[in-house]
Amino acid sequence: MALNVKVGLVGALDMLKFKNMAKVREEAIQAAPAREVDGNFTINTKAKELHPDYQELVVCKVIDYDKAGAKTFVLKRPDGKPVAYFRAGQYLSLKMQIGTSFITRPYSISSSPKLALEGKYCITVKTNPGGFAADYMLENLHLGNKIIVSDPQGQFYYEDLRDGYNILALAGGSGITPFLSMARAIRDGIEKFNLTILFGSRTEDSILFKEELCEISKVCPKVKVVHVLSDEEKDGFEHGFITAELIRKYLLDNSSIFICGPEAMYRFLDGEIPKLGLPKRLVRREILGVTKHVEDHEGYPAECIGKTFTIRVCRGPEETEIPAAAGESVLVALERAGIKAPSRCRSGECGWCRSKLVSGDVFIPEETDGRRWADKEHNYIHPCASFPVSDLVLEVAGEYLEQ
Amino acid sequence: MKLYDVVVVGAGNAGLSAAITCALAGKKTLVIEQHNLPGGCASSFRRGRFEIEPSLHELCDVGPLSNPGDVRKMFDEYGLKVEWCEVPDCFRVVSKYRDGGVMDVTMPSGIEAFKDAMEKYVPGSRPKMDELFELMQEILDGIAYITASAGQADSNVLKEKYPNMLRTGAYPTQQVFDALKLPKRCQDILSTYWGYLGVDMEHLSFIHYAAMVHKYISRGAYIPKHTSHELSNAFIERFRELGGEIWFNCRAEEFLFTGDRLTGVRTNLGVIDTKYVLANINPDIIYGKMMPKELIPEREKKLVAARKRQFGARIFTAYFCLDVPYEELGIKDYSIFMPESSDSAEEYKNMTGSWETNDYSIFLCYNVANPDASPEGTCICSFTTFSAVDDWNNVTPEKYVELKNKVAKKFLWKLKEKTGITLQGHIEEMSVATPWTFARYLNAPEGSVYGYETRDWDGMMARMMMLSQDYPIKGMRPIGTAGPRGDGYSSAYICGQLLAKLAIKDLNTEEV
Repeated sequence: MALNVKVGLVGALDMLKFKNMAKVREEAIQAAPAREVDGNFTINTKAKELHPDYQELVVCKVIDYDKAGAKTFVLKRPDGKPVAYFRAGQYLSLKMQIGTSFITRPYSISSSPKLALEGKYCITVKTNPGGFAADYMLENLHLGNKIIVSDPQGQFYYEDLRDGYNILALAGGSGITPFLSMARAIRDGIEKFNLTILFGSRTEDSILFKEELCEISKVCPKVKVVHVLSDEEKDGFEHGFITAELIRKYLLDNSSIFICGPEAMYRFLDGEIPKLGLPKRLVRREILGVTKHVEDHEGYPAECIGKTFTIRVCRGPEETEIPAAAGESVLVALERAGIKAPSRCRSGECGWCRSKLVSGDVFIPEETDGRRWADKEHNYIHPCASFPVSDLVLEVAGEYLEQ
Repeated sequence: MKLYDVVVVGAGNAGLSAAITCALAGKKTLVIEQHNLPGGCASSFRRGRFEIEPSLHELCDVGPLSNPGDVRKMFDEYGLKVEWCEVPDCFRVVSKYRDGGVMDVTMPSGIEAFKDAMEKYVPGSRPKMDELFELMQEILDGIAYITASAGQADSNVLKEKYPNMLRTGAYPTQQVFDALKLPKRCQDILSTYWGYLGVDMEHLSFIHYAAMVHKYISRGAYIPKHTSHELSNAFIERFRELGGEIWFNCRAEEFLFTGDRLTGVRTNLGVIDTKYVLANINPDIIYGKMMPKELIPEREKKLVAARKRQFGARIFTAYFCLDVPYEELGIKDYSIFMPESSDSAEEYKNMTGSWETNDYSIFLCYNVANPDASPEGTCICSFTTFSAVDDWNNVTPEKYVELKNKVAKKFLWKLKEKTGITLQGHIEEMSVATPWTFARYLNAPEGSVYGYETRDWDGMMARMMMLSQDYPIKGMRPIGTAGPRGDGYSSAYICGQLLAKLAIKDLNTEEV
């Protein structure tokens, strides 16, 4: 028997109802007022406040830590409104023009998220050998200068569903900054976890934020700081490197380890952490930073050392040809050529610099290859962690900075 | 400066499909995308050693090689290469029947297997299920006819060939179920899919329900092996091969007109000259922010006003990457739907009321369908639910993370209560997406990925019938969720193709 479904009593009326759908719709439309259309939406506005394309700030205070070769810059929104809120441990990507280069550098925010509500962030810049941008900022960034920063970035923060309730932080040198932010957040009641910081410095004199850390741990029992001096033996300090043995001494039950420091410290800890036998989920490391000495990496083609290649760069409607030194990342080549290429983490992780490699070959150190599967498959690269080993044709994305 | 035939604004699913359609027709096509990735929702993100699927639960209408669905056929026609994994079952649902009985059923794919399972759970349901499937098949055929006729369907053909579609199509699904005299428990199980359309059974047109559900059941569902970013990249690569251009991090700020005709787009990378724009942007935003007010017809203002910003689902998803294989956690199913009850209207009200009244989530474990979804010895799971407007409208940035995690914790706890599965203690990576997240990456109004609700007078079929009346802007068509098909991957692909074909027709007519 043929199917004969009726919803109403009379099938023909059901059919009419179908036919009338357009008419009913038109009536509903015509019954509405012809108001001006409002294209603004609450959630979109809020999402933009939390993740603006970029933020224009001014330096409102400079604190000089002469002995440590570092300065803290307090950056502020000129209109005093809140800057984009963040989670303690996140970083900002600073955007600067040095000469004809447009560069970025990631810096952990060292202030409490509470300060963001007052329109301020603190970042700390420390001199380092060959630190082109750091040295530039230490010399040239003064009170009242403007600076462009990204929205807060990164996943180096406490997550209560994931991490142990006791965080053991392993910090080296200026790697203390995200932990200082966490300590301040705990002090301000924003974060609730217990934080023990094993803080490696060379000498007592060179300890960054010694007083600040001491003061926080005095008023806030959840925060403990243990200084580890590598170049000096003094009472009241641990000394040597941060070894598995030392970590074990301070590791409580229900702990996660968070690590932030210079590359040498990561390398050393790569040998120590496995001795603790912890599952991967309990050890978190801040992004590695720019790969140095790419030629030392396994698999790097030795014949490229010292060579200069050419990159044809397509960016929107523009096309240019630029030189690229073999030992430097593709991103650095773009920056040297004055191209406003997008970038943030400079460690291969965040993918903001994602670009299409139309032709040519690059070397990508495995530990900083943060690409998606399909991007590897289709030859997309993260220029910040890719090194040219031939001439290249590259399509890079645009940026949202005012020209 | 170059003159493009078509600029596609927004490389979301509809945009990608539209772009390939234009490129295949030989049109000089540029895609601009405000993000640095294609796909919109169809993307992925990395956390530690994991790559996470942000949105796709299952892609409808792919079908096996032996019985390809429209999406697989479309991918073949476009020349896209994708590795597919079949989703083993339609769903498991843990809930309560409206009669108060406990519901815990697992429904397999394939029409006969589905009917068999239904017979097992609701004895005696088979004859009525046969009728339902026959009706849904007629509706699918009818929609195919109407779609092919692009708004010019012959009413005699409709009456002769698709009378049951005509008699049921204008009604809400609930009323058709009742008219068919489907057993109540059968209805309760069948209502599970309403969440994918974002409209409850009292307001979801039967034609829309039938179109999707029949496809899911008859052809099974599929996911790409390497997240939906694989899909989006496949589109882009093919589009490039066809000579198409794509600019990432390029945001359309304003549409430029010469007289009443669109002739350009102002972007952060400069002004682009074009004969046509396919805008994968919600019309509220186009009309509200991107074009001269005097060029917006009165009827279009009324259309926007009539819709009263009733956007569909604002999604909340929590993603968990776990450091054990799923078997060790006791997970057996790819998807578990966990509504508190099978009264969809009540559920919808609770879900969109506040996170405190919302007990409904869909739990997914990607590895069940795709063993390679994560590194060996690990798995990835997610919870998805709709979220209340007020929760996310009212929260401040400093309380945002706290709210995200409160909701995520609630669903972890609910999962344990309903299935005995515990994820805590194995979470290596996690992330939570809210309407703020979708607003951030997609700029979808109010973070709603579903567009205007396809309900009541503004249902799928009514929109389809009025394709030629809506959006009469010369040189531009909005595509995507505001289009006739509403939300969903397959709908967006199909809609993007349909509207691109109309645009090509417009262009070709003008050139003659």
